[in-house]
Amino acid sequence: MTILKTENLSRNFGGLAALDQVSTEFHENEILGIIGPNGAGKTTFINVIAGIYLPTQGRIFFDGQDITELPAHTRCRLGISRTFQLVRPLHGLNLLENIMVGSLFGKGLSQREARKKAEELCEFLGLSNMTRDITRMTALEIKKMEIAHAMATQPKLLFLDEVMAGLSSDETMEMIALVRKIHSRGMTIGIVEHVMRVIRELTHRVVVLDWGQVIAEGAYEQVSNDPRVITAYLGEES
Amino acid sequence: MKGSRYLLYIAVLIILLILPLYTGVYLLNVLDIILIYLALALSWDMLLRSGQISFGMAGLFGVGGYAAALIHLQAGVSPLLSIVLGGLTAGFLACLIGMAVLQLRGMYFAIVTLALAEIFRVIIRNFPDLTGGPEGTILPSAIFAGNSTKTYWLVLAVAVISVIGSEIFRKTRIHFALTSIRNDEIVAKSSGINVFKYMVFIFAVTSAIQGITGGAYAHIYGFVSPEGSFSLNFTLLPIAMTLLGGMHSTWGSVVGAVLLGVVSEFLKLQIPYGHLLVYGIIIVITILFFPQGIVGTIGQRLKKR
Amino acid sequence: MKVFNKLKQRNTQIVILIAVIAITLAAWKPHVLIEGLQRACLYAVIALPMALILGIVGIINLAHGDFMMLGAYFAYFFSVYTGIDPLVAIIPAFLAFFLIGIATYRAIIKFVLGAPELNQLLLTFGLAMVLEQLANLIWTSRPVKLSLKYVSASATIGSFSFGTFEFVYIAAAIIVLIGLLFFLKRTDTGQAALAVGQNPRGAKLVGIHVDRTYLFIFSLSIALTGSIGAIFMTRHSIFPLVGAPFTMKSFCLIAMAGIGNLMGILWCSLILGLSENFVLSFRGYAGWADILFFALIVLVIIIRSHQRQVK
Repeated sequence: MTILKTENLSRNFGGLAALDQVSTEFHENEILGIIGPNGAGKTTFINVIAGIYLPTQGRIFFDGQDITELPAHTRCRLGISRTFQLVRPLHGLNLLENIMVGSLFGKGLSQREARKKAEELCEFLGLSNMTRDITRMTALEIKKMEIAHAMATQPKLLFLDEVMAGLSSDETMEMIALVRKIHSRGMTIGIVEHVMRVIRELTHRVVVLDWGQVIAEGAYEQVSNDPRVITAYLGEES
Repeated sequence: MKGSRYLLYIAVLIILLILPLYTGVYLLNVLDIILIYLALALSWDMLLRSGQISFGMAGLFGVGGYAAALIHLQAGVSPLLSIVLGGLTAGFLACLIGMAVLQLRGMYFAIVTLALAEIFRVIIRNFPDLTGGPEGTILPSAIFAGNSTKTYWLVLAVAVISVIGSEIFRKTRIHFALTSIRNDEIVAKSSGINVFKYMVFIFAVTSAIQGITGGAYAHIYGFVSPEGSFSLNFTLLPIAMTLLGGMHSTWGSVVGAVLLGVVSEFLKLQIPYGHLLVYGIIIVITILFFPQGIVGTIGQRLKKR
Repeated sequence: MKVFNKLKQRNTQIVILIAVIAITLAAWKPHVLIEGLQRACLYAVIALPMALILGIVGIINLAHGDFMMLGAYFAYFFSVYTGIDPLVAIIPAFLAFFLIGIATYRAIIKFVLGAPELNQLLLTFGLAMVLEQLANLIWTSRPVKLSLKYVSASATIGSFSFGTFEFVYIAAAIIVLIGLLFFLKRTDTGQAALAVGQNPRGAKLVGIHVDRTYLFIFSLSIALTGSIGAIFMTRHSIFPLVGAPFTMKSFCLIAMAGIGNLMGILWCSLILGLSENFVLSFRGYAGWADILFFALIVLVIIIRSHQRQVK
């Protein structure tokens, strides 16, 4: 069952084609890897699907519905959520409250329900001391908060944008296990990564972008041996 | 814990309510001014929490005043009701303006609001038959026939409304929306917040409060005029008060309003013409040296320990 | 093909629109055309320095019009105490306000450059209030004016006559615009300033002294603004709040033309100036001329945000 489908999705910035005729599908409950060299358009892809940018061409279908014209907040309520590469915590709210925002508005829960949900997510992801100030957190904790924030909207489709960046080897393993745990809850996940080990271990399928175009699609083993992908710079082997 | 806080608030309210029995007219008049500026300061802060600045308090205050006065005069509506309608008028106008202008925020919005007072002045001058033109309109009598106790209670009610409004903005989900929007609109959008709708709503509500305050003022002093009702005071002082006391909190505006209100009474007696200068200087100094204001700086010091 | 491409550029579109309007007015209400032109250039020459600061230093100066007001008072007192014609006061005004600009930048503006836009808005608003109230305190709100013989010079064409002194605004606008464009595009300092405006961090990496550039541009802008105040004073009566409307109208022009489009400010000022005078020419509606800039800003904002919908 297809949960997300893009048809000839294109997005220009000035003269630059950040996305060029991207047609791809996300199957329900799969973990789809999105890889490609720097500047390939991976984050732009997420931004267009999430509604931060409107496409200059093409259509997006989510759960059978054409969402191409819908604003970002509506897409969030429909079940699309994402993390941000450069984490932007909300100052003025503590850790728990940061996470609550998603439940309050993405899902429309009451404050009490949202608080419970946020606490539950903190436990699920291994975040302790929930009412603390967000200026004193480790890199791993910030990433977890970011994921919790995105999960608070109870999405059907979750995009993780380079959540492994800057983590140690042990932390990466912990994060991989976490992503599996999230997936086992019944969620479709799109994961953008540079660390190939993560892609290899987690994903069912991979989509490779280069210069805004899809140059390969398939299982990791298949894609990693594709000469086109190899020439486009495969990224870190680890 | 929460229970004792509410008891404290109720105690303060009761004290404020029975104050007229123990004090003279002069003190009540000073309090009137403080409470009016407090309401304006709170309404300014409520919008500030979303990350937007309005310089239009004088404009919406004056609109509320004129609406209240004219509705009372032309339609025979009772003064109290006309004050409420004045507030609704201001809120409605703000809604229209907001829908047009809030797609682009930041300096565009700020400067549009800066122009509001002047625009409303021009419009009012151009309909002299309805509004009394450049000389303004005098109301047949001040509200409550000038009874200073009842006037004080009216102004107290307006101030309490704005305090309640500010607390609602801090305790409900609106607080989360405001803080998210202020920090990062993209994150807010991605969390399911309809940023534009919230902004228009907040602008309309805070403008309605300013309109009600203006309506009360108009009826208390018994007249409206293009120069007086849209005076720069009503924009300048609330900003200075909130900045001095501390933004993003109810207490900050209260502290700032009381402090500057008392100071302004002294200043008016010492230097009758220069006191607005002081407020401008206060704004410049607080932005440069302690943008958190008094309450904010104390709060930070306490946290560091 | 090239003609077609040029037609699409915003400036060209505006110029054509203005040409059409100008021809219509020349035939129907020549007063409006000439006086509108003069007024337009006054707006333009005041807006250009503000655009300079906004484009390069990246800060909006809400006290802009008040510096013009101070320049006007400066020229007034200079002329009264030295007996020298106030137009000559442009030179000392320029120098004096350059120094004032340096002082203002060092003491105040520098500190909010890195701060959020909110702080900048509030700071320059506070500054504007301080300047206005200071002027009010020292010189009271009673308007002052110099009576100079040459400002009432006029000429007659056919059946109507118009003031000729105001052409000095047109001269000023052209001189300032050409001067700024030349400075920015042909001199090293100007090119450096443009670089800083576009990408401060990148400019720093290439060795451009960013802070000194900001200081120079800011002071230049204040100097220009003060000098324009001197010219303004010759023709109008001045009072502490005389500058405030110009701040807002300057912003209106910048919003219409787009940040960084200096040429466009001239054309947009023509639209504002001509339409204001057009409205003024109708007896009963004269009071509405002052709302035009507001309507224009709102219109521009609505159009801009629709364009942004395409993101």
